[in-house]
Amino acid sequence: MNSKNRKSKLGSAQLTYFAFTIVPVTLYTFFYVISVIKGLGYSFTDWDGMASKYNFVGFRNYKLLLKNPYFWNSMKTTVLYTVMLVFCVITISLILAISLNSLKRFKTFIKSIYFVPAMIGGVTIALIWDQLFYRAVPLIGQRLGIEWLSQSVLMTGKTALPAVVFVHSWQAVALPTVIFIAGLQQIPDEQYEAAQIDGASIFERFRYITFPYLLPTITVNLVLIIKQGFTSFDFPFALTGGGPVRSTEVIGILIYNDAFKNLKFASANAEAFLLFIVVALFSLTQLKITSKGAIDS
Amino acid sequence: MKTKIEKLGWQLLRNLILASGLILILFPLYLVIINSMKSLEEAGKNFFALPSGLYFNNFVELFTNSDYWIFLRNSAKITLISITLIIIIVPSVSYSIARNFKNKYYKSVYYYLLMGLFIPSQVIMLPITKMMTKLNLLNHMGLIILYASFSITQGVFLFVNYIRGLPYEIEESAHIDGCNVWQTYTRIVLPLVKPMLSTLLIMDVLWIWNDFMLPLLILNRSKAIWTLPLFQYNFKTEYSFNYTMAFTAYLLAMLPMIIIYCMGQKYIIKGLTAGAVKG
Repeated sequence: MNSKNRKSKLGSAQLTYFAFTIVPVTLYTFFYVISVIKGLGYSFTDWDGMASKYNFVGFRNYKLLLKNPYFWNSMKTTVLYTVMLVFCVITISLILAISLNSLKRFKTFIKSIYFVPAMIGGVTIALIWDQLFYRAVPLIGQRLGIEWLSQSVLMTGKTALPAVVFVHSWQAVALPTVIFIAGLQQIPDEQYEAAQIDGASIFERFRYITFPYLLPTITVNLVLIIKQGFTSFDFPFALTGGGPVRSTEVIGILIYNDAFKNLKFASANAEAFLLFIVVALFSLTQLKITSKGAIDS
Repeated sequence: MKTKIEKLGWQLLRNLILASGLILILFPLYLVIINSMKSLEEAGKNFFALPSGLYFNNFVELFTNSDYWIFLRNSAKITLISITLIIIIVPSVSYSIARNFKNKYYKSVYYYLLMGLFIPSQVIMLPITKMMTKLNLLNHMGLIILYASFSITQGVFLFVNYIRGLPYEIEESAHIDGCNVWQTYTRIVLPLVKPMLSTLLIMDVLWIWNDFMLPLLILNRSKAIWTLPLFQYNFKTEYSFNYTMAFTAYLLAMLPMIIIYCMGQKYIIKGLTAGAVKG
């Protein structure tokens, strides 16, 4: 009797546990996994996104893409975009974090102002800067006599990409700065004091104390920003839409335009999957590096 | 002596850096605010100066002649319902997984849900649009379902690790006292995971409120169901000539989040940091 009771209790426990998984697994399967599989399927067809019928064409989309200069241009732009973004965000947020961390007064207050951009949506920020690039920045450029600033930087091919990265960084710096500050606070003060007694300069202290302690934090921020760079959409979409002359056409924009404007839906799916391969390879290497770092420490 | 000079120099440099950073952040926001309170004419004359008088026509115009309230309500509704769903779904499934990790089923569910970490949003964006069109879900309900579905991966990743780090003894004694799984979950586990819940809440509210890509794909076709980010984007094409009005729209769109931030900035910064570091 007793054991039977216990058994039914265990059974109902298992039932509750199992019930908890039903909704999420169903939602995830239906709207996530199946749509990925469908996307993969579309990439092997010649569908334009509108027609009621389409044919299976094998790897033709992929083969054509590898020969398509626009695709390679977009890949190049994406990588360049990501590299610039990572460089800007990591350097600026590191400098800001070190500066903020050494403040004695108003530290929390100033930190909270620096965090405001993280609250604002990417589109809002992009649209504000779009106006400023058009109306305010040229005025400042003319006053200072800087030629490339005297017109809207989004209009020229050379300056458009750095301008988009600048606006993205304006928002993206906030979070890594706070993460760096958290990392800095874990460094024991004695280390610095000892170094000071030994006569180490500021740069030596950074190189031999701050930097090694911050390494794990740097990895976290790198992963964060690289992901943002590769999947960037809002900023280029709202600022330039990929122009002028495809100079800011990162892969997200190319996929959107090909699918919904250029009626190359199937080929856009193939583009997405080529991006997926790149991102997955990168994530795997990243995972290996970080797990290795965990063992070392 | 040398260290003293070095210290002074560093302080000077640091304050210079922080001050220019603050200007770079606050000056654009200042321009948005002052120009939202100018007429087009006045802004054309002097873009950088404070408004010469009180001029609230842009605000009045937006509140009365545009559908700002509708878009605000749409954004709020979508965010609220999605986040409620997420808070119901994510911790419970994570609890199941964390406490049955030796069981093959739960372990495979965990890795199955985690696969999403590798998939960039661009891969989803095309097939999901076609799928939602076919299902007749190009509306708020469709968007809410998508937010709930797409939040699972990251949420489970955060929660499973967190719950596995909690001591099991409290739950065990609850079981012995006759609590069933549901009671243990709601009375013991949920209060224990509060810090993680607030992290999830903050991350996902910000994401959903500010998201642009999914509303663009799902809601762009009919104006009545737009969210605030969509409204702002379409404002650019509709009112490109009237830019002080555009500034007013941007200001009003970011205001709700800024107000919430002012009220709980400590928790928000903490929550977002925790989410980023652990996710």
